[in-house]
Amino acid sequence: MAETVHNLLLGFSVALSPPVLLYAFVGCVVGTIVGVLPGVGPLAGISLLLPATFGLDATKAIVMLAGIYYGAMYGGSTTSILMRIPGEAASVMTCIDGYAMARKGRAGPALAIAAVGSYVAGTVSVVALMFLAPPLASFALRFGPPEYFALLVLGLLVLAYMSSGSMVKALAMATLGLLLGMIGIDQMTGYFRFAYGVVELGDGIGVVPVAVGLFGLSEILATAGQETPPAVIKPTLRELLPSRQEWKDSNWPIWRGTVLGFLIGIIPGSAHIISSFVSYAVERRLSRRPEEFGQGAVAGVAGPESANNSATSGAFVPMLALGVPSGPIPAVMLAAMMVHGVSPGPLLIKQQPELFWGFIASMYVGNVVLLILNLPLVGVFVNLLRVPYPLLYPGILVFCILGVYAVNSSVVDVWIMLVMGLVGYLLRKLEFEPAPIVLGVILAPMIEMALRQSLAMSDGHYAIFLTRPIATTLLAVGVFLVLLSFRPLVARGLDWRARMAMAEKGEEL
Amino acid sequence: MTRVRALIGVMALAALAGVAAAQDYPTRPITLVAPFPPGGVADLTARPVAAALEKVLKNPVGVVNKTGAAGAVGMQYVATSRPDGYTLLLALSSISIIPEADKIFGRPPAFTVEQFAPIALVSADPTILVVRAESPWKTAKEFIEDAQKRPGQISYSSSGVYGTLHMAMALLEHGASVKLRHVPYSGAGPALTAILGGHVDALASGPAVVLPHIKAGKLRALAGWGDKRVAALPEAPTFKELGYPDAEFYIWAGVFAPKGTPEPVLAKLRDAVRQAVNDPEFKGAMEKLETPIAFKQGEEFQRFFDADARRLAAGVQRVGRVETK
Repeated sequence: MAETVHNLLLGFSVALSPPVLLYAFVGCVVGTIVGVLPGVGPLAGISLLLPATFGLDATKAIVMLAGIYYGAMYGGSTTSILMRIPGEAASVMTCIDGYAMARKGRAGPALAIAAVGSYVAGTVSVVALMFLAPPLASFALRFGPPEYFALLVLGLLVLAYMSSGSMVKALAMATLGLLLGMIGIDQMTGYFRFAYGVVELGDGIGVVPVAVGLFGLSEILATAGQETPPAVIKPTLRELLPSRQEWKDSNWPIWRGTVLGFLIGIIPGSAHIISSFVSYAVERRLSRRPEEFGQGAVAGVAGPESANNSATSGAFVPMLALGVPSGPIPAVMLAAMMVHGVSPGPLLIKQQPELFWGFIASMYVGNVVLLILNLPLVGVFVNLLRVPYPLLYPGILVFCILGVYAVNSSVVDVWIMLVMGLVGYLLRKLEFEPAPIVLGVILAPMIEMALRQSLAMSDGHYAIFLTRPIATTLLAVGVFLVLLSFRPLVARGLDWRARMAMAEKGEEL
Repeated sequence: MTRVRALIGVMALAALAGVAAAQDYPTRPITLVAPFPPGGVADLTARPVAAALEKVLKNPVGVVNKTGAAGAVGMQYVATSRPDGYTLLLALSSISIIPEADKIFGRPPAFTVEQFAPIALVSADPTILVVRAESPWKTAKEFIEDAQKRPGQISYSSSGVYGTLHMAMALLEHGASVKLRHVPYSGAGPALTAILGGHVDALASGPAVVLPHIKAGKLRALAGWGDKRVAALPEAPTFKELGYPDAEFYIWAGVFAPKGTPEPVLAKLRDAVRQAVNDPEFKGAMEKLETPIAFKQGEEFQRFFDADARRLAAGVQRVGRVETK
């Protein structure tokens, strides 16, 4: 303990030195911009800026890149809430209730809660990272393909909580998403599937173009199709701050989102993207008023926004403690260390204490910087809504296309986004919700890969899922949840979904 | 007749213009395409190469990551670019593997090696075979003998099917007549995570990324695929020494131009790359990445490239179509 405090002091002496502080600040600002820009996610942001860090020393480079990563999580909520455009994959869920809040004139509180939630999550998860990194990292490495598969199956169950309307429609959308996720090279055999000779489709359909198209573009198209333009929202200063009730409603979701995000974040791979989806589902399951979700429930913003932020800290656990490239972003950061001659590995903490503890301390500092940066920006961003739609929407369209193109310099991605925009528009008219499609596109390749890797490991025996304790436990939880959903069939009374269906019918009659 | 003469005249003029353009080369910024994402071997090699080339050619050289389909997207892009020396490719060994894999599946290839003019080899990193420190195999001999006894039981992770790390193992399986169990992952990072987590038994990897884990006592190096031992791991023999001459494999990086690039431009580029690899800053950058510089150009590079492509083609043929259960 005393040693940790001593080390942390060393870390702060590094993190608070003016040059390091400056790069942390630059990283946070760039991250916020990367998050705000539609389509450009943290991975793309870090990748684009990696070459710019080659001239710095290792500590400054890492501090700046990490700032971009968690800064993007702060910024990602902004366009989701204001314009229903997910800045990156992790803020898709924020589009639903955040945007609904904005339509009700509560954009300010939604942004403020997202910022505060991100701050709490960021800070608490750094504490967890500091004290729990070594034991958690070894645990995280035990997540092999079978465990990953079991976790992702749990992720599929999240679907049940994602739509407020018909379950059949939600499942139909999820199936469409899973099918879209099948496009691309079969990772186990090398076959091209459904690519029709387009080499660019080899890596499958990107989540970001799909999400930006389905949410953002469809919103723009739908607005353009209205007979009278929607009233421009003019927020007043008093409305910028969350009400007492809103604070109360977001308190527990923030804490739950933090813990959940951190735990999902430490698992190697790309599962951290689903942390915000899972958090949304958990909040809806636990809420006393689940029918409010989708109509502007503040918990639907607080939970996922906290979860995606603490997942970023979680993702650093195996990277820092063991030097393992546990996901795409840690892999880029490890490469940045190697460029500077720091060989990342289990000995990093001992060999490079300034780097390790400076990095940890800079995350405390960075989160404070981001909170200070983001809260006043709430006022600025909300005023974007004052811009008349004929000016605002073409501008957004341009940024969507630029952002999606910039990530892979790929015109194919832009086409995917445009097609998905049209699909999203049609689905809206038919009253289908797009979120399950996005979850399907995220989950399909990961589930398939994990299942087939597991079977490759076991030479084709399904028993592998029942002989590994973590995988078995996760699958048992899944079975339990499915059984739980049958309860209304047996027990008396109606669950929220049935109540809502009743209410809807009542209105129509 | 006059029309034909005019045509000849125009063609001669065009050719003259071409020669003039080639002699002035370069007069505008050059793009070096890295077909893999930032942070990977191709990208980390391309950046210092571009920086050093910039000094020699006195024109900006920008690295563009055109990623996708295991590198096929970027390679196809350069293969079909205008052959004027302003679009270059930094390719890895996979340039010879992808067209072979396309052949196996009987699909029109995204590109062929004939569409490129090799300029120079920049680096060649022999892969090494690592196992977990607590595994029973202390030497490569024990590993191979055990694999012969238990075909299909010892598992290994790779960066992806037909990827470089898969090919290294395929060449070993071929050379030593053993059958291992392949569990592909989506990249070298996840493949390393898998062996550290104990989900597979073995991994072929570039030395730089596994060295820290060997030093920390988590992994053990058994042997290398190079024709010389890896400097940092003097105790690990090469497969050649062990009597498997076909198990030779490098993750190499080389600069290519599209076929049809004028010879004067190619000559200038060969010379520029030669100067670039001797640049002290470039040497420093590669040292930090622990990637050995291996410069070869012209005939010498062509011979290396051809021999490597032959070995890899045999490897791909041997793997054949992967059928999973």
